[in-house]
Formats: sequence, structure tokens, C-alpha cells
Amino acid sequence: MNAELASLATGQPSNVDAALSAKIDIRNLNFFYDKFHALKDINLKLQTGKVTAFIGPSGCGKSTLLRVLNRIYDLYPKLRAEGEVLFDGENILAPGQDLNLLRARIGMVFQKPTPFPMSIYDNVAFGIRLYEKLSKLELDGRIEAALRRAALWDEVKDKLHQSGLGLSGGQQQRLCIARSVAVKPEVILLDEPCSALDPISTAKIEELIDELKQDYTIAIVTHNMQQAARTSDYTAFMYLGQLIEFSPTQQVFTNPREKRTQDYITGRFG
Amino acid sequence: MAATSLSKSLYARRRSTNFVAMLLAMGAAVFGLFWLFAILGTLFWNGFSAIDLAIFTQNTPAPGSAGGLANAIIGSLAMTLIATLVGTPIGIMAGTYLAEYGKKSVLASVIRFINDILLSAPSIIIGLFVYVIFVLQVGHFSGWAGSLALSFLVIPVVVRTSEDMLNLVPTGLREAAAALGAPRWKVVAFIAYKAARNGMITGVLLAIARISGETAPLLFTSLNNQFGGSGFFSFWSSDMNAPMANLPVAIFQMALSPYEDWQRLAWGGSLLITVAILALNIAARGLAALTSKGN
Amino acid sequence: MDRPISSGTIMARAFLNHRDGTKGGIAERGITPAFAKRQQAQDSIFYYLTLGFALLVLVILGSIMASLIDGAWPAFATFGLGFITTEIWNPVTEQFGALAPIYGTLVTSAIALLIGVPVSFGIAIFITELCPRGLKRPIGIAIELLAGIPSIIYGIWGLFVFAPFMQLYIQPFLIKGLGPLPLIGSLFKGPPYGIGILTAGIILAIMILPFITSVTRDVFETVPPMLKESAYGLGATTWEVVSRIVLPYSRVGVTGGVMLGLGRALGETMAITFVIGNAHRISNSILAPGTTISASIANEFTEAVGDLYTSALIGLGLILFVITFFVLVLARLMLMRMDKKAGG
Repeated sequence: MNAELASLATGQPSNVDAALSAKIDIRNLNFFYDKFHALKDINLKLQTGKVTAFIGPSGCGKSTLLRVLNRIYDLYPKLRAEGEVLFDGENILAPGQDLNLLRARIGMVFQKPTPFPMSIYDNVAFGIRLYEKLSKLELDGRIEAALRRAALWDEVKDKLHQSGLGLSGGQQQRLCIARSVAVKPEVILLDEPCSALDPISTAKIEELIDELKQDYTIAIVTHNMQQAARTSDYTAFMYLGQLIEFSPTQQVFTNPREKRTQDYITGRFG
Repeated sequence: MAATSLSKSLYARRRSTNFVAMLLAMGAAVFGLFWLFAILGTLFWNGFSAIDLAIFTQNTPAPGSAGGLANAIIGSLAMTLIATLVGTPIGIMAGTYLAEYGKKSVLASVIRFINDILLSAPSIIIGLFVYVIFVLQVGHFSGWAGSLALSFLVIPVVVRTSEDMLNLVPTGLREAAAALGAPRWKVVAFIAYKAARNGMITGVLLAIARISGETAPLLFTSLNNQFGGSGFFSFWSSDMNAPMANLPVAIFQMALSPYEDWQRLAWGGSLLITVAILALNIAARGLAALTSKGN
Repeated sequence: MDRPISSGTIMARAFLNHRDGTKGGIAERGITPAFAKRQQAQDSIFYYLTLGFALLVLVILGSIMASLIDGAWPAFATFGLGFITTEIWNPVTEQFGALAPIYGTLVTSAIALLIGVPVSFGIAIFITELCPRGLKRPIGIAIELLAGIPSIIYGIWGLFVFAPFMQLYIQPFLIKGLGPLPLIGSLFKGPPYGIGILTAGIILAIMILPFITSVTRDVFETVPPMLKESAYGLGATTWEVVSRIVLPYSRVGVTGGVMLGLGRALGETMAITFVIGNAHRISNSILAPGTTISASIANEFTEAVGDLYTSALIGLGLILFVITFFVLVLARLMLMRMDKKAGG
């Protein structure tokens, strides 16, 4: 079984269009929580301007993989990554990387909405102010643009200076997306962004993802296979820390190469 | 049938034991509350009659004559203010280290442990300490020395509450800020502090409540300056560099004096301090309740 | 748009038309390496600042120890171990022995524990097991307010209210009732002064009530409800549940709470200073005036003439600090063990 898994794990996508450029190129990535080997020899390319979905049962390492891409794992001791993650050709795992700048270029939205304890306006302005000195007018414009992109503007334009904590769960999550977009990152990582939301909010956010991919390279981790099928261009199926299959979404859901993938998407385990 | 009567009498004995024990527990609660009311009762009874305008406008009097506590009140406010201003930032920074950086490391655990010891160390020891390192070196008692002693009492309280409050801030919030590219210090200063603000203010209020009644550490640091005031407005020129009047030490000296006027002032001062401290405690509680509701 | 277009909106349009993707991304925002460096520098400054102040906590404790040892050195050099084992305290002949204050400190604290611990347990049991839901919080808060009352208030109340009460009612009763008894009788001999060791001990007991009660209550509440429910299910009475399940389960934590109270009692100064009588001698009777370490320091320090006198008082402080230090260390270790148990 190990041999079988190992042969699967080389995981170079078979049908990925070679003409597309890879925004992020993951090579031989291994990840450890102290002694636990959480990601095993992952090889994967995130294509520029495309949505890549990560699916797999709980604990398969999909969220961990996402947390490597902006090195958010670095906030905690005893976690380490080996291998290479090339972002526009530059290895972000190399020592001496400025993580703050990296994270400004690779945005992330989390499972649970995380509005800061401040006004809606300041929530969005927080990230912008980190790296840019704008006039009030420019800042207002940027905030409005970000909120519009997140399809939240019409709902909050009259209460920009009220607390972000007062919004509904779906609105809070869109605020978090607006906050990420406002920084103008190149890549957006979405870590199960809809798992805490109701179906209507989920639909809104899925629409949004479709809208955003014109400008951003997007990676989304999801529990929900329909969501992966609806929103993504490529799908990666992970299992026990290994990349089992990585193909265009349509192929993964209609004609998976691996039995394991088929078992999962037809609900036989996980 | 002997067995049943035996178990019946056993059961009756168990029940009466229980009854007596519960009665004693209830008695203990009544006993505890009794002291609270007894102390507050006599304090209000004796204190109210002593409080008049003069207590706020006149300085501490010569033995046997009437006067007020104005200079002592000003002195206490000044020293408490300075001690809070010095102790709070230090305590918050140290608490920040424990919650944000040190966490479960050996160094952080040791610091946490030592801080807990300082938290309950006898305050008179702090007084002796400041006497040795400050008063002896400078050569005289002073308001500064008193403030320094009080700030050593503020620090452990604020360290403890800041750490506890920062630990309550969800990690998701820190991750979200870091994911926007915020450097660590901005994550802490603009997000974590903001989220923990009410709790940290609660901690500072409790620290102020703690030091505003402290007497022992002031006895040989700021001493007292009962006879300092000669003119009516002399307390306005209160000099932090000289021995400084303060409420607790003034109460101590006046209560132990044989003069009835002084004893009356001591009661009045006691009531002022107690009311201030209870108000601070209630404010701190209110703020804490507000915060937990907000979340 | 049914809303007048603000200038901000026009800006937003511009941004939207411009497609805010990678354009204007961080690479084009003029983020120079110098900026990144400065940001990293700020980060490490902040880190070292917090670390520095955290280390200050250790420095404070170390300096307290060092300064007390330094200040007490002349006294220990002059009297050696005799400083701890002799009773004579005579500023005129410069003879100083710390036995009487040490004795007074230990005896008043013992009395405080003897009275305070059972009462605190009673209150904690009442709050956790008996109290109607609505009363729980008010009673808890009232008990904690007792902890907020400053020490000097207990002192002034003790001197003017409680001591006369002891003198008029309690002490004559004790002298008459217990004085003639063999063995313990000598503890209750002598005239009723009002002030004295017993009065100080009782006031200490009241002062440590809230501390022991609040720790005990917290520890009692860590007992898993399942454990209690299964005992009740077997037909146990409340008292049996408390004495056979709750107390054994929470023994370590409760002991920690008691030690915390003891630490308080040992170091308590002002309340004691008012009511203990400040007599540097060891008497058989607990009704007699005595002194404690902290009361001696508080009373005599500012009047101490001569280096040896001052040094002897700092020496008393050192002894007090060492005793409370070990008591508090023990208390914290026990409470930490309890926390681990509750956590895991």
C-alpha cells in the first residue's frame, strides 16, 4: 500500500495546460508539526489567474498546505517546512524571506470570520495603511473599491464607522475578503471560507470567487465537493498528507484517475 | 427486622450529620458576611460624621486641633497616579512577552511563577526594599520613593491581568492580521491590545484599588508630612522630592494618637479610601461584565 | 445609483476600471528594501522591549533578595544565629534577637488558619453546594469585597471596635472559662487587655477568609459534575459528597489556597500593628500583647537610631521574606498541580 501511495504521490498533473504560467510552484514539499509528518512530498503548480481547489477528508493536510503558502505557520514554534515553494520563481521557504511583505502579496481568508474589533472602515483600512500612505480621498476610494469587490458595499455604505463585529456572519466573511483584496495581493488563499456560513451567504461568496479570479490567483480549501466543482478550475485531492490526484476540476469529478479520489467524491469515505 | 431498624438508624444518623454539617456551612457564610457588614457599618457610622468640607480644604492639623486631610489626599492621588503611570506600561509589556512571545517556554514559566510570588509578597518588604535602594541612597524620604514602592506593587498585578487578557484574544485574529502582512508588533499593538483593552483596563483599575489603601510600603518611603503645610494653599506646592503626606499613613498616625479630633479625621479618611476602593472594584467588575457580554 | 456620487466613489470607479489585480501590487508600491529592514528592526525592538520588561520581574525579585541580605548583614554579622534564637530586643544596649517577633508571626498566623480555614471551607461549601442560584453571585462578590478593604481599615476597626469588644466580653469569658483548665489554661491567663495575640489572630482570620474562600470555591468547581452526580445517585448526602468526593479530589488545590492565605497572614502588617500591642516578649498567654515581624518593622523602623538597629529590622524583613517566599512557592506549586489535573 505504501508503494502504491508513493507512486501516486509524485502527483504531477497530467492534463495541466503547459502554456499557462505557474504563479506558485510547490516542489517536494514536506511539512512537520514537531515530529508529526503532516505533508509528504507535495508537488503542485497553482496557475496564474485560476482557482485551485483542495479537497480531502479532515486532517489530510489541505489546510496545512495552504498555511505553508503564506508561511502563516511561522507564527508558531516547532513547525517546519522542507522543500521549495516558488512564488514567481522565488523560493519563499528560503531563509531571510521577509514574511510581512510575502503575506502582503499572498492574502488569506480564514474558516471563521475574523473581523477586527474596530469599525468596518478601519478593518479594511488596516491592511492598506501597513504599506501605503494615502490621502483620505485615495483611502476612501480604495476602501469603497474593496468593499464593492466583496459585494458588501451596498449593505454597509451607511454604517462604515460602526463596528465590524455587528455584521452578520456572511457579511463578516465578505468584510474579511474585502480586507484581503484591499491590500491588492497577487494570490488569495481561502481556507474553508464558507464552512461557518448559511447557504445564501455561501452562494454570495462563491459568486465572488468567480468574480475575483479575473484578477487573482486563488487557492481554496473546502469540505464541500460541490463547492469545489462549482468554483474551481483545478482540483487537488489530498489524503493522509499526500497529494493523490491533481487535475482540471472537470476531470477530477467526471473521470478521476485514482480509485481513492473516486471513493472520496462519491462519498465512500471521509 | 433487626437489619432494617439498624439501617434505618444509620440512615437517620447520616441525615442528621448532613444536617449539622450544612447548618455549619450556612453559619460560616453568615459569619463571613457578618464581618463585612460589621466593618462597613462601623466605618460608615464613624466616618460620615467626620466628613465635612474642611476635610477636603484644610491640611492635616497640629496635635489636638481641628483640620482636614487635603494635603494627604493630594499626596495620595499624586503618588498613586505616578505609580500607575510607571507600573502600567512595564506590566503590560512584560505581560505581552508572556502571552505573545514566551508562552510555554522555560523562561516565560519562570517569570510567570516569580511574578505570582511578587503578587502576594508582603507589601512591607517592598517598603524595606525601596528604603534600601532609594531612600538610603538619596538620603531622605520622598514622594518619589513612595511612588516607586507603589509601582512595584502595580507591576505584578498588571503583568498577570495583561497576560490573562491577551490569552483570551482568539488566535484567529492575530493570524488574520499577520496574513495581511502586518509585522508582529503591529499585530500585538493594534489588534491584540485593542481586543483585550477592556480586560487590561480592568486589571489597571484593580491595581489602583490595591495600592490606594497600601500603608506599609509608604511608612518608610514617603513617610508623612503632617506638619508641612503652614499656609492655606501650601499643599499645592507639594514637593515630590520631600517627605509627602498621604492618606493611609496619615490615618495610621492619627488613629494611634490620643486626640479625639485626629481620631475623627482618621475615620473620615478611612471612609474616603474604602469608598474609593469599593468604587474602583465595582467599576472593574462592571467593565469585565461588559466585555464578556460583548463577546 | 440613487445616491449622490461622492468623490470617494469616483476614486473607487477609477480603481475598479483599473482592475485592482496585480497592478499596483506590492512590487509597484515602491516598497524599498530599506522599508522592509526598518519594519523588521521595529519588530525586534518591540520584542526585546517586552523581553526586557519581563526580565525586569526577575530583576525585581533578585534585587529585593540582594538588598535585604545586604541591609541585614551587619545584624547577622554581629549576632550570628543568635539573632534568630534569642528573645532580647533592647535598642538601648543594642541587643537584638528576633525570636519574639518570629514567634508572634507564627502564632497569629496559626490562630488565623485555625479559625479562617474551617470558616472558608464552610463558605465555599455553602456557595457551591447549598446556595440558591440567585444568591451565588452576590455572596461571592460580597466575600471578595472583604478582600478589597485595605488592611489599615481592619486595623482602625480592630483598635476602636473589635478590641474593646474582646476586652469586655470575649476575654473575661475565656479567662474565667478556660483559664483554670490544666495544660491549655495557661494560654488564657492574665488580664483582658483587649489587644493582643488572640485579637490580632482573629482579625487576620477575617482578612484571609476571602482569599482561601475564593481559591477553595474555584477548586471545588473543578470537580467533574459526573463524579458528584454518581455519588448522589448512590444515595449519598451532600455532606458525604463534599467530604468523601469533593475534598479528596481537590485536596491539593485547597491546600494551595490555604498556603496562599498563610502567605497573606504572615506578611500582613497594618491591621496587626494596630491591635497586637507591640511587646517584644514571648508570653504563655495568647491574650497577652506581643509583636510580629511586620508590626515590629512598621512600628520601629522610622524611629530606629543607629545602623545596627536598622540592620536588625531589615534582618527581620529578610526572615519574613524567606518564610513567605517558601510558603508562596509551595502554594503556587500546589495550585499548578491542581491546574494540570483540571486541564488534563
